[in-house]
Amino acid sequence: MNTIVDGTLKFFSSLWLSVALLIFLALLTWLGTLEQVHTGLYEVQRKYFDSMFLVHQAGSVPIPLPGARLVMGILFINLFVGGIVRLRRGWATAGVLITHVGIVFLLVAGMVKSFYAQEGHVTLYEGEKANTYESYVRWEVAVSEDLGQGKLRELTAPEEAFHHATSATPITFAPPSLPFEIQLGRYQKNCRALPKGPMFDAPTPVIDGVFLQPQSPSTQAEQNIAGLYATLVEKQGGAKHEGILWGNEAQPWTVETGGKRYALALRRERYPMPFTLGLQDFVKEDHPRIDMPKAFSSDVVVTEDDSTRPMKISMNEPLRSKGLVVYQASWGPADAPPGTPLFSTLAVVSNPADQFPLYACIVIAIGLTLHFSRKLLRHIRSEARAS
Amino acid sequence: MKNLLRIATLFLVALASTLSIAAAQSAAQAAAARPGPWPKEVVEIAQHLPVQDGGRVKPLNTYAGYLLLRLNGKRSVTTPEGEKLEAMPWLLDVLFYPELAETYDAFMVQDGQAIEAIGVSVEGKKKRDRYSFRELRPGIQRLFQLANEYQAIEEKDRNTVQQQVFMLAMNVNDFMRILTHLDLARARLPVGAGDGLAQMFSGAEEVTFSQVLDHVPELRDLQLKLSREPATAAESKTIGTLLHTAADLTSGTESLALLPATGSLEAEPAWHTPADLLTVALRDSVVEPKHVEMLASLEGMARARADFAGFQREITRFQGLVVPLAEKRGEYEKVGLEVTYHELGLLGNAQVVFVLAFVLAAGLWLKPKSKLLYGLTTLAVIVPTILVTIAIVLRCMIRERPPVSTLYETLLFVTATGAITALVAELVTKQKVALSAAAVLGMIGLFVANGYEMLDKRDTMPQLVAVLDTNFWLATHVTAITIGYSAGMLAALLASLYLITKVVGFKRSEPAFHHGLGRMVYGVLCFGLIFSTVGTILGGIWANESWGRFWGWDPKENGALLICLSQLVILHCRMGGILREHGVCMATAFGGTVIAFSWFGVNLLGVGLHSYGFTSGIHTALWSYYWIQWGIVGLGGLHWYLERVRSNARREAMSNSGSRLSPAQEPMS
Repeated sequence: MNTIVDGTLKFFSSLWLSVALLIFLALLTWLGTLEQVHTGLYEVQRKYFDSMFLVHQAGSVPIPLPGARLVMGILFINLFVGGIVRLRRGWATAGVLITHVGIVFLLVAGMVKSFYAQEGHVTLYEGEKANTYESYVRWEVAVSEDLGQGKLRELTAPEEAFHHATSATPITFAPPSLPFEIQLGRYQKNCRALPKGPMFDAPTPVIDGVFLQPQSPSTQAEQNIAGLYATLVEKQGGAKHEGILWGNEAQPWTVETGGKRYALALRRERYPMPFTLGLQDFVKEDHPRIDMPKAFSSDVVVTEDDSTRPMKISMNEPLRSKGLVVYQASWGPADAPPGTPLFSTLAVVSNPADQFPLYACIVIAIGLTLHFSRKLLRHIRSEARAS
Repeated sequence: MKNLLRIATLFLVALASTLSIAAAQSAAQAAAARPGPWPKEVVEIAQHLPVQDGGRVKPLNTYAGYLLLRLNGKRSVTTPEGEKLEAMPWLLDVLFYPELAETYDAFMVQDGQAIEAIGVSVEGKKKRDRYSFRELRPGIQRLFQLANEYQAIEEKDRNTVQQQVFMLAMNVNDFMRILTHLDLARARLPVGAGDGLAQMFSGAEEVTFSQVLDHVPELRDLQLKLSREPATAAESKTIGTLLHTAADLTSGTESLALLPATGSLEAEPAWHTPADLLTVALRDSVVEPKHVEMLASLEGMARARADFAGFQREITRFQGLVVPLAEKRGEYEKVGLEVTYHELGLLGNAQVVFVLAFVLAAGLWLKPKSKLLYGLTTLAVIVPTILVTIAIVLRCMIRERPPVSTLYETLLFVTATGAITALVAELVTKQKVALSAAAVLGMIGLFVANGYEMLDKRDTMPQLVAVLDTNFWLATHVTAITIGYSAGMLAALLASLYLITKVVGFKRSEPAFHHGLGRMVYGVLCFGLIFSTVGTILGGIWANESWGRFWGWDPKENGALLICLSQLVILHCRMGGILREHGVCMATAFGGTVIAFSWFGVNLLGVGLHSYGFTSGIHTALWSYYWIQWGIVGLGGLHWYLERVRSNARREAMSNSGSRLSPAQEPMS
């Protein structure tokens, strides 16, 4: 038993393993960088860096590789066991130990972010307010029930619940609070809703003269517009209502049943903010006489717990509040003529490990400087002795 | 850029009318020759005149230098009479002697087929040759037609001729705008008949542009008043013609903003051109007397062009009007320093001395015991290193930025820090290798930097986009990562020297030489790792502050990570005995290509948030470097293999004879 434990420990703490993992990570980084030219950052990130395994196509030759998540997971163990726990203690290894602790801390930050962070944006014109932000790339199906007097009750299904329903065979949801079950099928990651003309055949079913035309996924994942076919089957009587949900639709699909009105929409996933953000003024300044942005900033009002406070969010100066960080990310419409009202896009991130990299950086810098300074001094002393 | 050609087509139409007015009115001047070279005093004043260009205020000298570099591929031009003109005198000719400047061969065309394509004869010209505007003039309409067509083709898909035509059209467009910029200062505008007009201009038959500008509000009022009565409608029409003529003269003047705004920097950041002033006067009935005076001064210069004493008086008057205004706005204090920076030519001189250092270093290896040669080589490395460092410091002072904020500046900084690191290594080791490496690195670094400027042909002190407008992160992340590049490139160079000297059998009988070199590679690599790692993480922290994510697998971020990973692999392999001295040097020489990929290669991919900087033309140089390094690594590998085969054979022979190998004869894996 001890032999197995020792063997396992020896394997996970070996320098050979460290070298192999670093080479794999470098290889994945290199391949992932080159592939971005063809498939875009989002897809590359999913395939190479957020995965456990992948198959890289080198021309027509498939090469199976471990994904960066697996490599970094093992590297974490290797570093922890070999680089910290089993490392010889002493002044000679103090710098290395500190550096390894910093890198472990950095990997932990990555893991925390990978599992717990949420990213999205809130886009506002001057005078508008929001208390939710939405994902750049993830979708959700939302069913709203009109309760009257301007009140709504909303149920949502995240993308994971339906993204695999790509075939004609639908997946079914039957929320107890709704008088119907929802069947979702023919999910398309990127598509266009088009009217069916008389001169061509539609590749997907036509509903009310409209069908979903599949498109190749964009290299800019946020430009993909998802779509799917939805069927509502009334629990009493089994009457069916068929409709199309498309991410770029201006109005939701509405259905009346049992004397009530329901609205269904496929939209970017929304997350609540613990405060309301109102945009008062957006300023975009160009360098004089050229079309190059000099500065952007958004004057916002943050309302939380019945108190309001004005804040300025600008490039490199985000707003941090209640676990969220709000950044000045973008603006639009692009090429708007002078005088056109502009909108401000603020990126919103919730990341519990927000400041971990800073601490890790300080620790690593101290460790490396200590280790290599010691080596340099030793070398200079030995040179002096030799001469 | 896309709109420029469309504008250029329209500009041609306006130019035709403007030229006809100017040509008719300056017919008497048309044949005038410049009385002699521009006086030194005049050139100096002109060099120090401020101009707003590229989003910042800079000396007219800088503007002239880059304009001529873009057109002619160098900062000087030779007149048909054989007079060599530097950029500033050339610009004075373009502005005040356009009929002479037209005849200068100031357009470098890389492929004569582009000239044939626009229907101009290339008889007597070489394939790559220079042309004057006068030679190109018959083909200009065709040039812009073709350029408009080629604009629809992606730059990477254009063939050489298409690209040359497109570039020539851009250059001709820029040149024409400057050539006609002061037509308004040369022109005399006919006033026409009418009592109101006669009263306003004291009975003068002709007036200058500045006089018209000065009276725009009154002219508009008078025009409106006269247009109400049929009896005076003719005079109203005459006023309309006068204003139209003035407006035609300002067409194309938007590219040279010589006139500072009179308000504060915050309230009015943009400087003015004659076109702006007339537009504001016509729209808002506002005319600043100072601007009228400035234009009158320009007119005075145009009138006095043949009399250098008079010209100097007028340009001094113009200087006296614009400089105090620019100073008041806090936009002039760096102008003199920038003129000095360009005049000193520190980088060009440093390049020459680095080449000399390289030659001396080569001599030093032939006569290794010569103390004189060693001293001279050291001096020849120290001097240009100081020159480059001074250049970097001056740039920091002019831009009020940390040393590195553009791709061009990374080249200067890598050269300076690489040479300094090598000098420190030489101080410690005194082996002459680091000294030679400093000479090689300095020479190549400045060759690439100067080549980059020549290819890019744009101001190397541009304004920065909003996200880069942070001196804290530029000073920390960018500086650290650039020192990492520098150390990595130096380590790769030293490792390459190690491999080459081993392959050619240099110092074969002195193993201490290669051991010392190997230790130096290790030391520089360690130094580089600290800065690469800390710089990369700092970049992540900056990204976290700006965009809300520490790491986004962006190509530039990945490149930086690749540098760290490759250096970590080498150091861990060395520590574990997986690689020894020879292997470490092979891996480090290969690491040079990893750094080059991260530094320039990822920018060529054209994706990601860091696709900045001019990169076309770098492709060939980058791939040449890759192949050279891979070749050196390959030779190093082959050498190691052959040594190993020989060593095994020796071992076998000796074991057959019952002997054992001494430690010094161990393989060099």
